[in-house]
Order: sequence, then structure tokens, then C-alpha cells
Amino acid sequence: MKSLALENLSKTYFDPYRGTQHTAIKDVSLKVDEGDFVAVVGPSGCGKSTILNMIAGFVPTSGGRIMVGGREVRGPGPDRGVVFQSFALFPWKTVAENVTFGPKMRGASKEERAKIAEEYLALAGLSHAADRYPNELSGGMQQRVGVVRALANNPDVLLMDEPFASVDAQTRMTLQEELTKIWEERRPTVIFITHDVSEAVFLANKVVVLSKGHVLEEVDIPLKRPRVWDDLVEDEAFKTLSNHVLQLVRRA
Amino acid sequence: MTVADETAPFSPVPYQRTWQAFKFVAPLIFLVVVWQVVVTVFSVNPRIFPDVPTVARAGWGTIVDGSLFAHVGASLWRVTVGTVLAILTAVPLGIAMGVSKPVSDFLTPLFRFFSVLAGIAWIPIATLWFGYGFGAITFVIFNAVFFVVAYNTLLGVSTIPMPLRHAAASLGTSRWQMLKEVLLPGALPNIVIGIRTGIGFAWRGLIAAEMIATNVGLGYMLFLARDFYRTEIIVFAMIVIGLIWLLLDRLLLAPLERATIERWGLVQRT
Repeated sequence: MKSLALENLSKTYFDPYRGTQHTAIKDVSLKVDEGDFVAVVGPSGCGKSTILNMIAGFVPTSGGRIMVGGREVRGPGPDRGVVFQSFALFPWKTVAENVTFGPKMRGASKEERAKIAEEYLALAGLSHAADRYPNELSGGMQQRVGVVRALANNPDVLLMDEPFASVDAQTRMTLQEELTKIWEERRPTVIFITHDVSEAVFLANKVVVLSKGHVLEEVDIPLKRPRVWDDLVEDEAFKTLSNHVLQLVRRA
Repeated sequence: MTVADETAPFSPVPYQRTWQAFKFVAPLIFLVVVWQVVVTVFSVNPRIFPDVPTVARAGWGTIVDGSLFAHVGASLWRVTVGTVLAILTAVPLGIAMGVSKPVSDFLTPLFRFFSVLAGIAWIPIATLWFGYGFGAITFVIFNAVFFVVAYNTLLGVSTIPMPLRHAAASLGTSRWQMLKEVLLPGALPNIVIGIRTGIGFAWRGLIAAEMIATNVGLGYMLFLARDFYRTEIIVFAMIVIGLIWLLLDRLLLAPLERATIERWGLVQRT
């Protein structure tokens, strides 16, 4: 795992209907240390997904630089694992084949891939579903596959784009607890995009509030770990921090 | 972490298969019964439309003298060769069009132009180029299948959700791996639809082409019987043409769909 740095990042789109340039991101600088967990929150349209898509290399930047472990990002690559809101599992591959897709692409042998599948499916609690197809799984199970598929490829940073936004509320809380547990054990470098304030505060070490394409405030989250919802729901520090971030987002 | 098993394994009940087969055959039997009743009640002239036993006897005759197998064999062979050649060329072209906008922009008007000509409009010039027989008819079939499959492949590639291509790219795929692991399987549902539609076109085109440009095949069998007022042979050949299509679709194309794209949940068979 490595660190991630955004340096004066900007993005402008050409709006074909108005015939003008539209600024989605202006001058965003942000540092995510190695092994850190940073959440980016903001109202819809604030540009948070645009930032993630630029880090992933799916859309080009208009200005500034993105550095991963000291190397500048140009286009998508296996150094940045991505977890998608829509899961984006390959429907024609089994769960095990999805998880070992990255290793297969870099030429890992069959035996190697079997070991990786075993390890990461156990991590996701999905060992029993190895030979199923994604459409046979619930949304929550599909996104567990999505998370370990990204991890199994050993990326330098993990990019998560509202990964739990399309599962039901109960499953979401379970997935959040599972993710913190995995993070506490393995310490990947994570940047997590969400519009859910309590999700951001629950998961992250630092919450970045984005507004109209720029950083409004960076809020440190010094809550102790391990974090579980049963403890935090009534926790005063959690409530105060959540309220503070919520006020920022509502003003944004 | 514990995960409840939320999906029950799908287990086909044995008698369901028999029931499905019955539901498939029952309307056809009904049609035969109605046919016989109508012919008997209204004493239809057998020159206009023969009754069931007459057609059955005529059909048996073509089986005994082997002519049916010669015609069916010739027709199936032409369809197979034309279709396989068309798929082998159309799928790569469709993928190229789906991936590259300049290629698709350049070829789309040509495709629109030729897709309306696909099929029997080619018969006259095909017979000039290839003479009467195998070449001309296979060419017509190739044409019928090629454009449908290429167009559906293009459609398939362009409807693969962007996040899937992004996911593959961020997991480290090369261009060739993207083609093999994502674009081809992702487009497969549409490719299969294209093949199914294409073979349907090809089968119709084949019969028309065989009436004109050959001396063996199901279309020729139909046309020849008309010359001798053998209405019972005409009706029998029509039945064979329809039945072969049903069998082809049910025993070859539908299982292909089930084995792949339905299993993946990309289309639901209703």
C-alpha cells in the first residue's frame, strides 16, 4: 500500500447545451497517507465522484496532478483498485473467477489463483459461494465480492465510490462494520466517496467535506477502534462529529 | 462474519420437462386435428388441400425413396456453411465497430444500405457470379446472417455497462484481455440473438433461393411438386421446413442461450 496525493486538481467540462465551460472541480489538494482511511462527503453534484473517476484514471484531469506512491497517474491501472456503486461484477464469471480476475490478468497460475480465491472469499465470508454467478447473490453478497476483488489484486490504494449506496439499510451497517474490520486488520490506503455523513464518520480517520468543486473543510475523526454500530450509536463524540459534518454538508 | 445463504439452488422437477414438451406439442397436434376436420367436413378437393393421411403417405414415400434426406441434407449443409462463415466474419467486425467510433461511423451507412438488400435480392447477381447451386445459395445465406450478426454484435459491445469496462481496466487488463474477457462475453447475449434472428432469415432466404437457383433442397422439392400438381408433397415439404426450424431453435439455439447467458442472468426466458 502507498500514499495518495492530489495536487491542485481541477476539472472543467464543455457544456454543449450552453456552449460554455463548466467547472466541476477547482484546485483540490488532498493527501491520503499510506494506510490511512479518508472519506469524501458532499451533496450530489459537488464533484466527489468526478474526483474518484480522475484518480481511477477513467476521466482525464484538466489541471493539477494525481500522485500514487510518488508516481503520476495516467489512465486506469492495477495500482488503484476500484469498488463501484453498481458492483460491476462480471456476470459471466463465477464469484471465485471475479475475485481472481486481477491476478489472472497479470498471469498468476491456476494454483496461485486458487489460493487467492480461498483467502479472499474467506475474508468476505463467501467461501460457500465460490462457484455461484453474481446474479445468484444478494446485493450485499455481491458487494462483498466487489470489495475483495479489488483487494485481491493488491492495489496501492483502494478507491470506493459510494459502494454501499445501493444495498438496504441493515445490510449497509453490516458491510460498514465488515469493512472497518478488514481495514483495521490489513490497513489498506482507502479513499471512500459517500453522501452519507454517518457512514463517513463511522469509517474514516478523516472526513473531507466537498462543496461546489472545492474542499470546504477537513475533519479529523479520532474515534477509537474497533468501531461497531452498537457502541457508536449512543456515543457522544460520534454524535458531535456527525452533527458537525452534517452542518457543513447542509451549508455546502 | 456470518452470511445467511440467501439463494436456494435451482432444481428442475422431472415431470416439468414432460409438461413443457407437452405444452410445446399440444398446439401443433390441435392444428393437425383442425386441418383433418375441416378437410373432411367441407370435402375439400385434394388438389387444393389434401387430408392428413394423404400427406403422411406422400411423406413416407419421400422417406422410403430417400429423396427427403437428399433435400434436407442439401438445405442444412448450405445453411450451416453460410451461417458459420457469416458468424466468423461478422463478430470481429461488429466488435471493431463497437470499440472504435471512426470504424462504426464509416461502416454504419453501408450497413443500413446493405441490410435492406440482405437475402433474396442477391439471388440474381449471385447466380451470375457463382452459377446455379451451392455457391449462389450459400452466398445468399451468408448475406442474410452476416448483417444481423454484425449489427447485434455492435449493439452488444456498446451496451456493456461502462463500470464493467472500467473495472476490468483497473484490474489491469491488456487490450487483448479486454476483448477476450469483457467485450466478447459481454456482447454474447446480443450475438446469440443476432445468430438466432439471422438463422431465421437464412432459413426463409434459403427456401426462396432454392426455388430459383438449384436442383436439390427443400425449396426445390416444393417448387418441383407444384409443377406436377403434387399438393400433398407441397404441404409435406412446408411441414418439414417449419418443423426443422422448430427443432433447430429448440434443440440448438435455445439450449445455447440457456447454457450461457441465462445462467449469467443477462436475459430471462419467459
